[in-house]
Amino acid sequence: MSITRRQLFSGIAKAGVPAVVAVTVGTDVLQAGEHIPVPSAAVGLLYDASVCIGCKACVAACAEANDTPPDTRGDALHQAPEDLNDLTRNVIKLYKSEDGSVFSFVKRQCMHCLDPACAAGCPFQALHKDPESGIVKWDADKCIGCRYCTITCPYHIPRFQWMGFNPRVTKCELCKDRLAKGLKPGCTSVCPTGAVIFGPRSVLLLDAKQRIQKSPGRYYQNRVYGEIDNGGTQALYLSKVPFEDLGLPELGPESVPAKTLRWQRRFYQYFALPALLYAGLVQVIRKSLKGHEEEAHQREKETGLRAQL
Amino acid sequence: MSTVTMTSATTSTAAAAIDQTATARWERNVPVYGFPVVNGLFLGLSALVLIAFVLSGYRELAGLGPVSGMNDAYGWGIWKTFNLMVLTALGSGAFAVGIAAWVFRRKRLHSLMRMALLTSFLAYACGLLLLGIDAGRPWNFYWIVFPWRWNMHSPLAEVAICMSIYAMIPLAVENIPPVLERLWYFDSRLRPGVESIEKRLHYFFPWIIAAAYLLPGMHQSSLGALMLLAGERVHPLWQTPWLPVLYLGAATFMSFGCVAGTTMLCCLVWKRAMDMEVLDEAARITSWLIFGWMGLRLLDILFRGALGTAFHFDRFAAVFWLEMVLISIGGLLLCRSLRSHDSQPMFVGYILSSLGGMIYRFSPTTLAFRPNPQALYFPATIEVLVSLGFISLGIVGFLIAVKRFAILPAPLSEWHDMASYFRFRRPYIRWTGYFKYGHFGEDETEASGSD
Repeated sequence: MSITRRQLFSGIAKAGVPAVVAVTVGTDVLQAGEHIPVPSAAVGLLYDASVCIGCKACVAACAEANDTPPDTRGDALHQAPEDLNDLTRNVIKLYKSEDGSVFSFVKRQCMHCLDPACAAGCPFQALHKDPESGIVKWDADKCIGCRYCTITCPYHIPRFQWMGFNPRVTKCELCKDRLAKGLKPGCTSVCPTGAVIFGPRSVLLLDAKQRIQKSPGRYYQNRVYGEIDNGGTQALYLSKVPFEDLGLPELGPESVPAKTLRWQRRFYQYFALPALLYAGLVQVIRKSLKGHEEEAHQREKETGLRAQL
Repeated sequence: MSTVTMTSATTSTAAAAIDQTATARWERNVPVYGFPVVNGLFLGLSALVLIAFVLSGYRELAGLGPVSGMNDAYGWGIWKTFNLMVLTALGSGAFAVGIAAWVFRRKRLHSLMRMALLTSFLAYACGLLLLGIDAGRPWNFYWIVFPWRWNMHSPLAEVAICMSIYAMIPLAVENIPPVLERLWYFDSRLRPGVESIEKRLHYFFPWIIAAAYLLPGMHQSSLGALMLLAGERVHPLWQTPWLPVLYLGAATFMSFGCVAGTTMLCCLVWKRAMDMEVLDEAARITSWLIFGWMGLRLLDILFRGALGTAFHFDRFAAVFWLEMVLISIGGLLLCRSLRSHDSQPMFVGYILSSLGGMIYRFSPTTLAFRPNPQALYFPATIEVLVSLGFISLGIVGFLIAVKRFAILPAPLSEWHDMASYFRFRRPYIRWTGYFKYGHFGEDETEASGSD
């Protein structure tokens, strides 16, 4: 039995439609039930805001560890950045309630999310999650400087360098060069009270839970921020005041990319749906083009003027 | 294409002349003739373009900080949010009008296609050029040629890759026929070459045209998906899982407005007859698109329970109502013009609805984006000048193109008028091409005798 070209194509089309539907609909099932995997050697930070005395030794140590000049742009004397910026990967901020009775310091740096929104949005994977350590790293050779990461990050961490012809994106990379040498990250190596400590994520999580167990009621909601928040992060937080007051939004257990890009991911899975649409469009347009050309030639004969297509 | 005969042409000249007095029908694309390309407006716009080029050179050296109002909170300024997000929506004519004409076979709209293709190409090209200047590290764009390096699930990758491919391949190729046509008329020695290129082009056309509808459908919706990741920092009146659909929908009616509105404006300025049948068809489709889009937008707000925020006394509510009022008045004017076949309310309707659409497309990234309570963004002078310069670049390109190529639709008589204009009143203009050979099918010896 021989098949004609036409039969072959229509056969492919008939098989293609259900295949595409399966891919498009099935994708979500795979992703919704899936627990975001924790990298095998995930390292992280545990910051206990109730222990922090706000000495900012970590801010200076961070700049030193990353070979960054101290940010003295405030008063040309003190290294006192108001927020993260192109010279500051790590900053200590103070939260004070309106009547001044409650206050807490907070250390802000990259959360190293398990499913980072910055990497989900980064067009050429300049920001990417290290598959082993789980550190979210920035690659200068791939970054096009679109600044999408500054918009997507729910914690507003990556900062863009606004001056100069060769701008860089600045964010905590957990002192990856120091880790390679067997050293701890800069901030954890100088903290006098042990408010921020470095270690494998699982160990830190256990430590945090033990602290909560030891003194129940000391910590807000008896909860570790980052255990499940935003799909889980590798920087974990303990605090006496609500996390939202410290600038850590309540994002729910589902990660931002999983929550918002569900349909985007479905539609572009293996490029199946666009390919099917394209094939359909070609067929329709072939037919219209034929009719249109015939009409144009007809008009050419009537008017004696060269057809315009 | 086959060459034409002379006898049938002369009879149709007379027929067309009679036709025009009754109702104008757009039957042929005719270049704008008798108006010089270089005039005051043209020079003014060129000056703006020049200023923008110089300033963008300065931006490449100094960085984005000194030239723009962008800051850590508002990482995106008007170069992206206006020139790219808003103006490519206006420039989606090749997508929206094209789908109506080619996929849904609204045959009358074919006469608007060249306008649609030209405006789209210019809007996209200027937007993408500015995107290159807006990018902090543009030299890394070369990753675009390595598909395995793309982050296919990123809306921005989708936008950047899809837009560049769309503007450089399908849109550029679709704009080639007017250029080839001009070469065909320019010199009879070019004709065999031109005809063989056309033949090859027509062979690939179905694939190219289909890509020209798939790609914009993808990236115009992904432009909306960009702000999904920003989550609650976008005001609830705008932040919705339907953002991609609404962005695409806004692009369709805005681009109809842009194509039909620009064509009407050109007809007014260069004194062309308007074909109310075509314009009515476009207005009918546009009004349906507008009311469908408004319905979807309002239902979405209602079901998400965000309607309450529209009645707060703040800038977000003001922007929302301004957008809604502009679009609905525009839609109503279009409906009125359909009943009265009047071009004036139609033109105003297109302008108002497109303005409303522009506000909508501009809002999620800028007007309704609240990264933190203290954050503020206002474009710097240099930023505005560069933005205006790149818009002017598009307009300059448009002015040159409509006067040198057969873009604007016109009655058949206009073509013959143009031919006689160049034959008898401007015989010394040799390079227009349209007068010298082949209007009436005569061969070169005859034509060369006339000039």
